[in-house]
Amino acid sequence: MIQMYHVYKTYGKDLEALVDVSLHIQKGEFVFLAGSSGAGKSTLLRLIFRDELPTSGQLLVNGRNLVRMKPRAVPHLRRMLGIVFQDFKLLRDRTVEDNLALVTRVVGMPALEGRRRVAQLLKLVGLSHKANMPPYKLSGGEQQRVAIARGLMNDPLILLADEPTGNLDPELAVDVTRLLLEINSRGTTVLVATHDLKLAEEAGRRTVFLKKGRIVEEWP
Amino acid sequence: MREKLKHIFAHALMNLVRAGWGGLASIATIATSFLIIGIFLLLVLQLNALVAKWREQFRLSVFLEDRITQTQLEILEKRIQNEAAVRSITFTSKEEALANFRQELKDQQSLLEGLGDNPLPASFQLKIREGYQSPDALRRLSAFLTRLEGVEDIQYGQEWIERISNAAYLMKALGIIIGSILTLGSALIVSNTIRLAVYARAGEIEIMRLVGATKAYIRAPFLVEGMLQGSLGALLALGMLFAAYRYVAATSRLASPLFSIATDRGFLEPSMMAALVGGGALIGAIGSSLSVSRFLKT
Repeated sequence: MIQMYHVYKTYGKDLEALVDVSLHIQKGEFVFLAGSSGAGKSTLLRLIFRDELPTSGQLLVNGRNLVRMKPRAVPHLRRMLGIVFQDFKLLRDRTVEDNLALVTRVVGMPALEGRRRVAQLLKLVGLSHKANMPPYKLSGGEQQRVAIARGLMNDPLILLADEPTGNLDPELAVDVTRLLLEINSRGTTVLVATHDLKLAEEAGRRTVFLKKGRIVEEWP
Repeated sequence: MREKLKHIFAHALMNLVRAGWGGLASIATIATSFLIIGIFLLLVLQLNALVAKWREQFRLSVFLEDRITQTQLEILEKRIQNEAAVRSITFTSKEEALANFRQELKDQQSLLEGLGDNPLPASFQLKIREGYQSPDALRRLSAFLTRLEGVEDIQYGQEWIERISNAAYLMKALGIIIGSILTLGSALIVSNTIRLAVYARAGEIEIMRLVGATKAYIRAPFLVEGMLQGSLGALLALGMLFAAYRYVAATSRLASPLFSIATDRGFLEPSMMAALVGGGALIGAIGSSLSVSRFLKT
């Protein structure tokens, strides 16, 4: 599903964010990307949703070469991906429901189907009763669940999560991880960047360790 | 397609409402800029109308020798009429001149009693075509007329005509310079205001980008919103200008007979109003699409 071959990413002259990274993730896998901040986790995710291009190396997502992809094809790539961030990135000035509905409009989903999908996903993340609230009235864990639901609106092949539990208490972090595992069990490939080694360890899934832009260890 | 258009307009309107005070601030800024441009435009128009009126009323007098014969008079009239510069010609006989003079004096007619013979000369009054009203052309025309047989003297208020044409030239030059500075200035102010409004929605743009919206999809509502803001601002400015104009025109008619000549001309021409509103829409559209582009690298 994701194939990286000798990928380098350098900012400016000598800030090496990724160095010779080769990584293969199969369809349906759940992978943790572990490392301290500045290790290159976010950069690696940004390459996958083509917010950035690698300085050198090749990168394929669902068989498509991102290095050679034309800019106009990028929106279609992103519709195959769900993206979740540490800071949720929810719009404060509209309800939970409208935050999700934004996606249905962007991809041109018929209104009725869109509403059904919003309801279905809010149910999945257990927030049906808060559909009409603005996000800032929700707890951090709930907000992250809304963000995850939004990430799933396009029924993505891959869910990318950048420190999804970084702003959450330990118990809520476990909740969110459980939700991500459940999503994975339904067939979505999930890639989670985290600095919380304990969380990765407890989940017992494949974990790739990054240090100073290099893959230094892999577990198991 | 219809669904898309609906989205674009609904979204633009929604954003306009959501922007709240920010959106109103943009509209107010645009309105202020356009009000200044509008006032300036109106002033230029009024001054132009004034100059045109002066030009229209402009007469050149050809005074004739007393001993001119009827045949000479007819020949002279023909020759003058054939001049390209002359639009129309009217004859005033010695008697008519005296009668006019008497009428002007009215109460002081006793002044004329000692005069005996009529001392006033007969004359032709010439209206001059607009293209020939420059000081140079008039000087040439008057030199030509002086040489004709039976002509005693030429009068046309040389100093006045030079002043008016200098003033008209100055107005045109200043109009172009000040007008371009004002337009450029408002374009910058407006695009900055819109940029701030777009920055305030950077989060929304980012999310749309991440969930796979195309650039056109993201840009279109902002474009329409910018156009709406721009044209609303321009309309507001026109409304205020019109109200102010009506008030000034009504009061100045009493205050200054000079200004009333100009105000008879009426408000801005419809084509100018349309250009202002269109210009507002254009500035709004350009301002917002430039600002949105900053967030749309891919």
